[in-house]
Parts: sequence; C-alpha cells; structure tokens
Amino acid sequence: MPPRRYLQVDVFSKRPGCGNPLAVVLDAEGLSSEQMQKIAAWTNLVETTFVLPPSEANADYRVRIFTPQREIPFAGHPSLGTAHALLALKLVRAQKGEIIQECGAGLIPIRIETSKKFRRRLFFRAPVVKNIEAFESGFEPAAAVFSKLALGELAPSLVEGGRKWWIAEMRDEKSLRSLQPDHAAITAMSKASDSMGLCVFSRCKDQDYQLAVRAFAPAFGIKEDPASGAANATIAAYLLDSGTLQSIGHNYRVSQGREMGHDATIDLRAEKQDDIWVGGECQTVINATMKWID
Amino acid sequence: MTTTMTRRFLQCDVFAEYAGAGNGLAVVLNGENLSTEQMQAFAKFTNMSETTFVLPTTKAEASYRVRIFTPVSEMPFAGHPSVGTAHAVLESGLVKAVDGKLVQECAAGLLPMTVQGDGKDRCISVRAPRGKIIPHDADVQTLLDAAIKNMTLGQLPPTLMNNGPQWWCVELADETVVRELKPMLPEIAALTQGSNSVGLSVFARSNSPDYQLVVRAFCPADSIPEDPVTGSANAAIAALMHESKAFGKTGNTYTASQGREVGRDGLVQVRGDDDGEVWIGGKTQTVIEGSLSWD
Repeated sequence: MPPRRYLQVDVFSKRPGCGNPLAVVLDAEGLSSEQMQKIAAWTNLVETTFVLPPSEANADYRVRIFTPQREIPFAGHPSLGTAHALLALKLVRAQKGEIIQECGAGLIPIRIETSKKFRRRLFFRAPVVKNIEAFESGFEPAAAVFSKLALGELAPSLVEGGRKWWIAEMRDEKSLRSLQPDHAAITAMSKASDSMGLCVFSRCKDQDYQLAVRAFAPAFGIKEDPASGAANATIAAYLLDSGTLQSIGHNYRVSQGREMGHDATIDLRAEKQDDIWVGGECQTVINATMKWID
Repeated sequence: MTTTMTRRFLQCDVFAEYAGAGNGLAVVLNGENLSTEQMQAFAKFTNMSETTFVLPTTKAEASYRVRIFTPVSEMPFAGHPSVGTAHAVLESGLVKAVDGKLVQECAAGLLPMTVQGDGKDRCISVRAPRGKIIPHDADVQTLLDAAIKNMTLGQLPPTLMNNGPQWWCVELADETVVRELKPMLPEIAALTQGSNSVGLSVFARSNSPDYQLVVRAFCPADSIPEDPVTGSANAAIAALMHESKAFGKTGNTYTASQGREVGRDGLVQVRGDDDGEVWIGGKTQTVIEGSLSWD
C-alpha cells in the first residue's frame, strides 16, 4: 500500500493557528473502522476524517468522522475542513458553487463562496432549530448561572438544533471577553436540562465582526470551544426568531476563541429558519503523506 | 510576516515497534526563524504531548540542536522527544551518527545518545539526567497512603525520585496487579500536587519473553489520567532499582512494556551503566511526512 495523502487543516481560520484543527486522511480505502479509530486517537485532534469514494451517485466524496473516542455521523468543522482538503488537492470540482458530501448523516451540501475580498469560504447548512424555550427564573440550575452574568437585552433561552444549547446575550463585548465561567454551575445546568452547555454572545460595534461568541460545554469535558459550528447556528436561529438580525444583518461575522489563545472567524448566512449556513476560511497547515502499518 | 517559508515536517511514533503503539511526536526539521511564540502556537496546534523544532547547533560537539514544547510550555529536556527527534534527523539525512553516537544540544545542555540499527528497527537511546531518591515527610506519607490504598505492593517501598521531574515509583506485586490496577486518580492528583511531582508510576517484574518490566504512569493533576509511554518515569524506576541494588535477575539492561491499558503497546529499552547512569531508548516509526506552512 503506498502512503496515503494526509492534510492537517485549520478551520474557521484567517491565518494558521487561529481556528479549530482537523486531520484529513485521503485515500482511506483499505483501512478498517478499528484502524481509523486508532489513527484518530493517535492524531489527538478533536476530529480526524477519512475520505472514501462516494457510494451515492450524487455525492462528490464520502467521509467518515472520528473523535479520539468514537465515530460521529456529522459535524460542521470536520465537514468544512474535509471539503477544503479535497478542493485544495483538486480532487473534487464544484458545480454551481456546491459540492455534495456523503457522511453518516446522509448527503450534505457544502456551499462555496468566492469574492475579491476573501479567500475561498465554505459553508454547511446547519440542522433546523426545532424549539426555542425562554429561561424561567424558577428553573434553579439555570438561575444559578444567569444570576451571575452581566446579561444583555434578549432573554436567555434553551435552543434545540441538532443539540440543545443555552444561549445568553451579554451586555457588551468587554463583559463577554472578561467572563470567568463557573464550570460547576454550567455543568449542573447542562445536566439538569439535557443540553451541551452555555453559549454567550455580545453584539459588537466598530469591529470587522458583528458578534463575539464563547461556548462552554464542561459537562462534556470541553471547558471552552475555540470555534463552534453548530452552536453558532443555534445563536443565529435565536437572533432570527427574536427579529434581531434586522439590525445585525442576515449575513454576519463572529469572533470566537480569543480567550483561549485562538482567533477564529465564523461567517453566518441566516435568511430564514430552515436555511441557516455556517462557514469560514480554512488553511492548509500540514501537507504530507501517512504510513500506517500495524 | 512578509515571507512564507515551507518547512519540513514529520510526525512519528516513539517507543513503538509499529505505528500507533507508542507516544506520538511532531518534529519541525527546519525550525529557523520561528519565534518562541510561533513555536508555542504550533505545539498547541499539533496537540501532540510534545512538538520539537530542530535548529542549527551553537556548540561544535553537537550533532543538532532542538527546542521541545508541550501544548502549554517549553521544556528543557524529555526522553521521548529526544529519541524521536534523533530518529527524525537521521531519517531525513540531516545528520549522520558517528560510531553509533550523536550529541543532542538542548536547553538542558549537551546530551549523549547512542544509535543501533537502521530504519524502522533503529534503536536510539539517550542518557537520562541522574536520578536520586527524595525523602518525604509525614504529611506527604498520608497523601501517599491514600493514593496507594488499593495497590498490592511489591518488595521496594514506594519512593519519590527526582531526575529532572519528580516521579513517585511504586513497585507492585506482579504483572497482573499492574495491568488490572484501577488507579484512584483524585488521590494520586492530591499526592502529586502535595509533593511537587509530575505523576505516579507503578511497575512490576514480568515473566514475558518480550519484556522484563511492566510499567504504567498516571499524571491526573496535569489532565493526563494515564500517559501511554513515558521515558522519564522509566528512567526514574531504573534509578530507584539501581540505588536500591534491586535489579536482581532483571539485570540492569531490560525492556519495559507500557501503554496497553490505554490502547498502545510501547516498548522502552532501559540500560543502566556501571557509573549508575540510566539510558532510555527505543524504536521510532515515521507516520506522517511532508511540509508545514506556519509563518
């Protein structure tokens, strides 16, 4: 077996090191599920993907996505990074600005935006938000969290997209960036409401982004996430629902991750509830081959 | 940065007979003109336990110079990054061994290394900083008793060793006791925090034909419940056996098995010499090889 092509990509990133890393193993035919899981444990990145020939006629490629612990059917950041790797190596070609990814969750369109100002940006369509439930002060695990936050105008809510996230607006960017999250209280809230955790955001003025976001999922071992695909989609749905995007704009840009030494840029396209897209630039950091013989 | 440079990059598996058996290491083969901040940021990006940067030597005796980073800080020396970096510079042809010897320049000084064999069977060893026994007081003994409460001990008393980092070395009754141990991580974290040590290692002698010692290492206070393959812990255990004149039938040259309990299968070659120095080595497999765009 000749060495497989291997790329390590930075997703939601204007420069290498700003975003969320991803390992992409191309030419993955011949690897067993067990070998894929071992490779994903060894690379030690949040996700490692394996590119395979498509089994559906409409798909451009097939991908399997692994965390160091398990295989998952779909996630936003690995989908964008994998599509970037295939485009960078010229292994797929977009038709009408789109490529179709086949994965555990079915056929997922990846939209490609090009413009003079930005490098190529890739977008995935987020799962449709099913339910938005406003916070009630009688729910004590959430009250314990929100009573300590410098909240903004909108009421905190539990938003259910692919997963459930608590969303809360902070008063301003400064209070968002200086927030010291109470991990124990967020863990208790997340367990009591069967949710991932807490996303906070603030509207920003005079920046090249319109929103700053931070995401905490300590109940799942993620104290803070440097760049969240799906969680940002739930924020967009919540802003759309409250009519707030009329002032922010339906195409807006998010800054996330600076508090943990990253500097991710995430772009949102949120015209209507069943049509929310999350995307950004990707950078190829490592362009290599992989030998895995066991 | 106005210039973009493509660097040579390699990710290898250290203390490994095959890919995935050992402890991963990222190596940037030409680390010139990267700032300390850029090195630290790249070490965070790779998320390997260590990332190294090869640089031109500043001392005539040195074969190569290396800087070693974890995802959070720079380290003066560590065993697994030294063995893996030496493999990378030999494999890439940057450096040749002379009479089976190399000298690594790093923040801890000039370190002698030995090289035997070639390619995937090449075995590289580095001399570990000398280990010594550190006495502990009654308060620490209380923490120790709590951390080892569920362990069936072997002959040597549990001992704190210093060979750069500080390791607790605890001999257990036999291989089965080591392999089946369910470590009490909160108590071990309390012990290591209370004694300025990086972790607690357990070991036992083995009757296996492939290795003579079985080792596990726990560093829960550093968010590493169990480390897959640990050079410094193995060196500390060898130093303890040397100090206690306890090599016995194992001899002062032996192979240690570590990592099976976390899905790896590392083998560490340990050699005690007549001067009481400990050498730590093993095989390294090149897994990923290519180029890096970082600046």
